[in-house]
Amino acid sequence: MKQSRFLGLFAALVYAFLHVPLLLLCAFSFNSSKFTVWEGFSLEWYRQMFADTQLAEAAWNSLVIALASTVLSTIIGTLCAYGLWKRGSKWLSGSLYLSLVTPEIVTGISMLAFFQWVFRYWQVQLGMHTVILAHVAFSIAYVLLVVMARLRTAEPALEEAALDLGANEWQAFKLVTLPMLKPGIAAAALLAFTVSFDDYVITAMVAGVDSETLPMVLYAMARRGANPVVSAISTVIFLGFGALILISDRMQKA
Amino acid sequence: MKTRRQALATIAALTSCAKPNKNRLNVFNWSAYVAPETIPNFEKEFGCKVRYSIYESNEEMLARVFSGNSGWDVVFPTHYIVPPMREQNLLAELDKSKLPNLPNLDPAFQHPISDPDLNHSVPYMWNATGILYNKKVNPAPTRWADLWLPHWKGHLTMLDDPAEVFAAALRKLGYSLNSRDEKELRAAQREAVNQKPLLRAYLNTEVRDQAVAGDVLGAQIWSTTAQQAIEANKDLAFVYPAEGFPLNLDCAVILRESPRQDLAHQFVNYLLRPEVSARIADSMRTATANGAARPLLAPETRNNPTLYPPPEVMARAEWFTTVTPEAQRLRDRLWTEIKSA
Amino acid sequence: MNRLRTIFLAPSAAFTVILFLIPLSIIVAYSFLTRGVYGGVVGPWTLENYQRLFDPLYGIILWRSLVMSTLATILCLVIAFPLALFIARASDRAKGIYLYLVILPFWTSFLVRTYAWMFLLRDTGFINTILTSLHIIREPLPLLYNETAVVVGLVYGYLPFAVLPLFSNLDRLDKNLLESAADLGATPWQTLYKVIIPLCAPGLRAAGVLVFIPCLGAYLTPDLLGGGKSIMIGNLIQNQFTTARDWPFGSAISLALMALVMVLLVSLLRQDGEEAL
Repeated sequence: MKQSRFLGLFAALVYAFLHVPLLLLCAFSFNSSKFTVWEGFSLEWYRQMFADTQLAEAAWNSLVIALASTVLSTIIGTLCAYGLWKRGSKWLSGSLYLSLVTPEIVTGISMLAFFQWVFRYWQVQLGMHTVILAHVAFSIAYVLLVVMARLRTAEPALEEAALDLGANEWQAFKLVTLPMLKPGIAAAALLAFTVSFDDYVITAMVAGVDSETLPMVLYAMARRGANPVVSAISTVIFLGFGALILISDRMQKA
Repeated sequence: MKTRRQALATIAALTSCAKPNKNRLNVFNWSAYVAPETIPNFEKEFGCKVRYSIYESNEEMLARVFSGNSGWDVVFPTHYIVPPMREQNLLAELDKSKLPNLPNLDPAFQHPISDPDLNHSVPYMWNATGILYNKKVNPAPTRWADLWLPHWKGHLTMLDDPAEVFAAALRKLGYSLNSRDEKELRAAQREAVNQKPLLRAYLNTEVRDQAVAGDVLGAQIWSTTAQQAIEANKDLAFVYPAEGFPLNLDCAVILRESPRQDLAHQFVNYLLRPEVSARIADSMRTATANGAARPLLAPETRNNPTLYPPPEVMARAEWFTTVTPEAQRLRDRLWTEIKSA
Repeated sequence: MNRLRTIFLAPSAAFTVILFLIPLSIIVAYSFLTRGVYGGVVGPWTLENYQRLFDPLYGIILWRSLVMSTLATILCLVIAFPLALFIARASDRAKGIYLYLVILPFWTSFLVRTYAWMFLLRDTGFINTILTSLHIIREPLPLLYNETAVVVGLVYGYLPFAVLPLFSNLDRLDKNLLESAADLGATPWQTLYKVIIPLCAPGLRAAGVLVFIPCLGAYLTPDLLGGGKSIMIGNLIQNQFTTARDWPFGSAISLALMALVMVLLVSLLRQDGEEAL
């Protein structure tokens, strides 16, 4: 079908709207001036970024939390999707979808209230583990959504054939369905990683001393006003994720 | 199977590096409130590590510590936050035998109204609230009432703090800034709503950078933050409003949850040393509550009229008190009304 | 089969119960309790927190949140629909690239996207600097810290949520149907109004809800781009748990917000059935 010229122009404008703000932000992270007037090329803000130990620690925390919660939520969510595909469970799928549409602030507040209540009886501290638990809890539903979409295209007869041929249930799952699910699982893991790496509202509620994440530091810096270091961090995140998606896309195609 | 076990082992290893460190003190303080060498010197002398993080408002700090298991050891609430924190069982009772430097405090701060016997809090730095403005603003503000003039439109900020906004409006109307009277508070709320169209935003210490950059021409702000902004941009000036203004005393407290009470006491006691306190006040331009530190200050700090206003100005100052629960509830409601107007 | 299924479902069930349903029940319980003298949650049981919700003051905040979310949703749909149509009509190879370009900004941190707009809109930000240096304006325009900035931030933040469901709906449209409409003499605009838009109703509804729900609960955008001047429900909830230290009332508002979201979803499900999820 022929593209109308109007539609093309409109699409170009929308793409500009989506990308120009971020590209400008990236460009000005290389500006030697603190202000939005171009003075010359400089890596000063990147030097400051790498010199900031609090920032490095927060970035490390964010990575650890995102990796741990991705691995856990991808495994748990995939198993859940498979189990629900075999036979539905109204209350479980209902609760998981409900958790998906619950406003973040409500999830965060309820988890904070929960941990505070737990601490009355059990001496543990807010920290990496509470953040990871919270992230796994809200990521499972995302994984379920993506893997389930893939399972809907699966053919149950294939597993039945495997069972008829003498495979046990575990083998049928592992040898027949799981390989077919791989692209879906990869996509789900990528999604789980980003929602975890990106989260501020829930994390800020359940984080303790040792688990300050990158979004928490970014939020504090952004509230203080213009700061080219924030632009530098943004550039690194933008390029990092751009590359991550390209690579994962290549791997899925290969 | 093997790969899964490896993955789990990796997760376990990764999370275990977050285990609470026995010999590390976790300090949560206002931004720009210690000298660059304060923390490293303490670490060296006491052979420990310090995790030092900053916040911009009492609410931000409260939100992080009120679970009672946050992991923080020492935090710095403003004096009127101390009684609610004590009532919520968040604060440890201080062991004064471990604070031999306590007498260094200025007599004026030995018995603060919020904690007269210093059972839970140790005064650290104090400040007062006034108006930071850019000298190109004409006429220069001298009173809270001047913050209601239309020429500020879009370039004025007020503190994102209900007590402070009510204080300015109440003083403008001639009422006590600790008023509990419903009629007075409602009148103050109307003043704040009338002022809102002029406001750029409600901001705390974040306004410092925006005032330095010239985005903000006038701001209700704490004297220490104002002084830091003035140091960075000589076009800025600060004034204590003629109607009277509130005093804030930021205090060091040790959280009850802290498993490192000894180290926390050592840290608080270290901050009470005259030379440590003087160094902080000199480098960050703050007003110390430490009387013994005063003579050690550089003359520019000691004689700075913003940080240490002369007696005739101090005569207009008033301490914030913790208001009754009923008044607090009314203030909360009126604050929500202001914010949603 | 049942044993394996039970084992497979156990971990997700445990997580859902312990970290979602129990916390939510605590909030439900809190919403019927009373605020302690200095904060905290104490007896007796009461309905007062829910009665307070009917105070016109909170009605105003709710109304403002609804208006701003609706505005952001409409803008998202108006922007997303032609874009989705454009992508759906592209060649298969180009589709992948176009979609990648929609999703790319979405993968970067939400805070980064919000900060990018602070960078553009500040008094000494990009737009004002350009306009002043071109002598179009003398004084910087007050672009940041107002409701327009918040709506722009919401649209920017959630636009991909609208593009993706619309694209998958448009992509599945029967091409023959459109061609026969053209053969029967329909102009492109007539085809759009009479054929494409009605067939896209499920996609439009799904996109609308996907944008509307996070906008309604937005907390960061009004805080950073609104400068704390125009609060939405999310900020009201946050305030109750921090400044006001009124957990019971904060819990009641949270549940009211969830109820609103549920009503929206149920009405969507009525229209489109299970497929909508």
